[in-house]
Amino acid sequence: MEKVLAHAKDGYPFEACGVFVGRPAGADPAVVEDVVPVENRETEKPRVRYQIAPEDLIRIDRDSRHRGLEILGYFHSHPDHPARPSETDRQRAADTLSDGVIHVVVGVEKGEQATPTAWVFRDATQSFEAEAFEVS
Amino acid sequence: MSIRVQIPAPLRSLTGGSDEVQVEALDIGTLVEALEARHKGLKDRLCDPAGELRTYVRVFVNEEDVRFLDGKKTVLKAGDTVAIVPAIAGGH
Repeated sequence: MEKVLAHAKDGYPFEACGVFVGRPAGADPAVVEDVVPVENRETEKPRVRYQIAPEDLIRIDRDSRHRGLEILGYFHSHPDHPARPSETDRQRAADTLSDGVIHVVVGVEKGEQATPTAWVFRDATQSFEAEAFEVS
Repeated sequence: MSIRVQIPAPLRSLTGGSDEVQVEALDIGTLVEALEARHKGLKDRLCDPAGELRTYVRVFVNEEDVRFLDGKKTVLKAGDTVAIVPAIAGGH
């Protein structure tokens, strides 16, 4: 999680984002093995929007598969904004392929205090549900 | 010809859990139909009601985005790998 918070603070006052790679949930909960920070590709309003380039996802997906891992989810920051998914986040998740995908939202206050919360998007309710997580 | 298609996790409930499937297809359009024939419901997740690829779903052939090739008419050849990737974005 340190890597996530550091990337979120480094990106301030712009939104920062990245990808979680690991082992999916089965009998046991999902385990994140690696965090891959990526560039926010939003060009118009990067203080309040983020975009992960599909090209970055393709690269990360290929590398993960080679390691026997897969993309489990994503994180992004909310500079000076609460650490919870916004309506924009919900709409964009609903527009794409998001069922069961982990989203961590990091609130970053004044570029210093970073607070993460974890969520899973569910197609059935078209919403994010809070998800418990452990940092090891 | 046989094409390998990589399936992202959110769609695997439609492929019986498989992260990769093989279908016979000549181009992206026939690939979508072949996927739908074997895994009902996939077309609806990939295409809008007009049958066009959804804006927030990206399809890559050998790591090239079909939006910059020939869209649904992008021709496939034996041994190609097709990847389906969600477009991830949001903000507060």
